[in-house]
Amino acid sequence: MFKPGVTVWYSVKSLQGSIAFYRDKLGFEVVFHDEEGGMAMVNTTTAGCIIGFSEAQEVVPSTSSTVFEVYDIEAARQALEQKGVTFLGDIETIPDMVKLATFIDPDGHSLMLSEELTPL
Amino acid sequence: MDRCRGRFTPLQHELGIAPARLSDNLKRMAASGLLQHLGPHERRHPALPEYVLTEHGLLLREAAQAQEQAEQQLGLGRLSAKAWSMPVLLALHYRHERFGQLAQALPPVTPRMLSARLDELSGLGAVDKLLDEQPRPAFVYRLQHRAEPPLRQLAGDFASII
Repeated sequence: MFKPGVTVWYSVKSLQGSIAFYRDKLGFEVVFHDEEGGMAMVNTTTAGCIIGFSEAQEVVPSTSSTVFEVYDIEAARQALEQKGVTFLGDIETIPDMVKLATFIDPDGHSLMLSEELTPL
Repeated sequence: MDRCRGRFTPLQHELGIAPARLSDNLKRMAASGLLQHLGPHERRHPALPEYVLTEHGLLLREAAQAQEQAEQQLGLGRLSAKAWSMPVLLALHYRHERFGQLAQALPPVTPRMLSARLDELSGLGAVDKLLDEQPRPAFVYRLQHRAEPPLRQLAGDFASII
């Protein structure tokens, strides 16, 4: 059945650890959870944009970022840091384009916050 | 492997064993050429298999299934859990009757192990131990009547797999 949307899948070491991070720290809703099969999916706050997790014996941290748009990158970063989310480096600015802040999930997969400076 | 779609976590839940033990077993099976381990860079999606059976592994699975079926028909429990039980029964099916013949048919079984298994199988009622007077007195071992059909079936299954 067709349903418009985008799903990003990650291999993870611990399903519980990933769910705790994406649900409790990022505030996403768990829409699928198969404990026996070691798979889960969360709905991001953008409709139809889903992140899937599948437990694997070996996990290589992904360097390609899933980027979340925010209104105020400083405030969003601060709020997440207060919840214990680890950010890498400072907020980077690409002039006339975006501000970016990189953070990682429990497996070291790279994620980003982005605040648009100039409409594309 | 099929039910768990070749993934580690479902396999671990299905088998109920510690991750380290499962990992060890999978490594040994991969080293023996029964499994192929797909590394993180070879898997195009996180939900795809981490392990797939090789052609050799598929054949061995067929053999294991045939053996399991024979065990069920024999109704004497999980005989294959003890090394050499099933090979001894198969050798008896092929009419290797004397201790020396059995030892010769099943290298590298030790005389001590062979003797222990024959005693156990005899105690379980799968094997008869009879005294043969000719040409000189010696024990002969034969499958009990009810053990013959499952072993005949197993021998046929193995022959067709090979």
